[in-house]
Amino acid sequence: MRFRPRPRRDSSAILFVVPAVFAALLVLIVPLAMSAYYSITGWKILQPATRNKIVWLDNYALVLTDPAFWSSIKVTLIYTVAGVALESLAGLALALLFRQNFVGRGVLRTLMILPMVITPAVVGMFWKLLYDPNYGLYNFALTSIGLPAVPWLSSTWALTSVIIMDVWESSPFFMLVLLAGLQTEDKEAVEAARIDGASSWQVVYYLTLPHLVPYLAIAAAFRAIWSLSEFDKVYMLTLGGPGDATTTMSLYAFKVGFVGFDIGKISAVSWIIAVLTLVVTAPLVAYLLRGRGAGSGGLRR
Amino acid sequence: MRKFLCLVAVVVLVFVYLFPYTWMVLSAFRYPADTFAIPPKLFFEISFDGFRNVFRQSVFGLYLMNSLIITLFSVAITMLVATPAAYALVRISRGGTAFLLTVLIARMIPAIALVVPIYIIGNLTRQLDTYQIMIVVTVAFNLPFAIWMVRGFFLDLPANLVDAARIDGASEWQVLTQVAAPLARGGIFATSVFVFVGAWNEFLFALILTSGRTTTATVALLSFRTSQGIEWDTISAGAFMVSLPVIVFAFIMQRYLVEGLTMGAVK
Repeated sequence: MRFRPRPRRDSSAILFVVPAVFAALLVLIVPLAMSAYYSITGWKILQPATRNKIVWLDNYALVLTDPAFWSSIKVTLIYTVAGVALESLAGLALALLFRQNFVGRGVLRTLMILPMVITPAVVGMFWKLLYDPNYGLYNFALTSIGLPAVPWLSSTWALTSVIIMDVWESSPFFMLVLLAGLQTEDKEAVEAARIDGASSWQVVYYLTLPHLVPYLAIAAAFRAIWSLSEFDKVYMLTLGGPGDATTTMSLYAFKVGFVGFDIGKISAVSWIIAVLTLVVTAPLVAYLLRGRGAGSGGLRR
Repeated sequence: MRKFLCLVAVVVLVFVYLFPYTWMVLSAFRYPADTFAIPPKLFFEISFDGFRNVFRQSVFGLYLMNSLIITLFSVAITMLVATPAAYALVRISRGGTAFLLTVLIARMIPAIALVVPIYIIGNLTRQLDTYQIMIVVTVAFNLPFAIWMVRGFFLDLPANLVDAARIDGASEWQVLTQVAAPLARGGIFATSVFVFVGAWNEFLFALILTSGRTTTATVALLSFRTSQGIEWDTISAGAFMVSLPVIVFAFIMQRYLVEGLTMGAVK
């Protein structure tokens, strides 16, 4: 513990947090508390009499024995793990390419990050156009080089197609983070290795990659957190179908709540996926923020 | 020579990479028959039917306006709430960090888990399909990251500047508004660019909490899927108009956007 005399302290700064705390209460804590209560009731919107009927843990039992629920967990995990793995590779390749010095690099890099700012719902929409089995561009490309057409949105392929779409959208994020990481690379070590006769690939493999590992981990952690709640793109592309083939946790909850209008059940689902997500992401967030809470001088006292 | 080859390779790569989006933009400007021609047509008759349909079949102008109103108010309020909060968290040591960590972790809960009770609250208070509910929800969802980012920029400021102002008798509020915030304005701006993109692209809350009067343009796209199928020229024209603002914005603000996107990761 460091001990140093502190200048006069004006605790009025604490008041500055009040609006933020109020917003968090209103939109995070109150809804969670409400759904905790609803989750033990049998409330179905279409049957008003069921509103305050306490059924205790029936809803939870209902969800946890629902094969569709477990299928959504599986879909979400496959989507997240496969997506993050492929995006790491693609992002690494892109970062190594965009590290080169060439004319117009700034503009080209900006173009490259457009997929991540384009409205995700719109992304899902135009991938549907591309995946069209008969008229889509991808099947045209495949068949014109002699390969068979792929039923992109059929139950066997839909999840793969959703993952490809996500890789397209999110690889630039990995590229950006890795490019930032490359800026801090030890240039002298690279220089020395080159003088000692190391090839470009050896430099990349023995120096650059190990240096990038923490950056890769950070990008992957962020992306994994977002992937776990994926909704927009998949809603627009497949609506979770065919069947449950691409129903992520969020889409499962959506179907229960806004197609079935079963408030009790969706409240139980909400709590289950909230807890599941927190179990996975809390360590990730703690990892991401590790060491940074202490601050490094600056305004901090 | 090597540099030139590299440039050519990257230009080709970027062109191919963006082609999925380009294809949709092209579809907005041509007759559906041309979009679905096999083999695909490189040259086609330009048509503005899609754009005409968008505005004839729905009040798309209103929906775009709704998106803009909700986004601008959300960005302004988020930054007005986040900046003092971030400042306070930098100044009030440990408890603040724990609080921020809790909020950031709570923010990881998928939005869908919160939207049903929010819908019920909106229903009880008769606030469904209003700008207020959309703005409050958007602000609350963007706050944790905004606070986190602005806090990072405040941490970069030299401490003696603030201490000097404090010794001269300035209150915390004066230090914030006259010293800290002006010094960190680049970072605050970077954060608001980030919030803008998030707020404009928001889909799930608008899908559930709005119905007609305050529907955003993103959600309005769904109405172009009819029982006969999707009218691709119309929906593409609508989607083009929805995505154009963020793309233009991304270009103008690219320095800030890159800073925002990598800051959380690299700081």
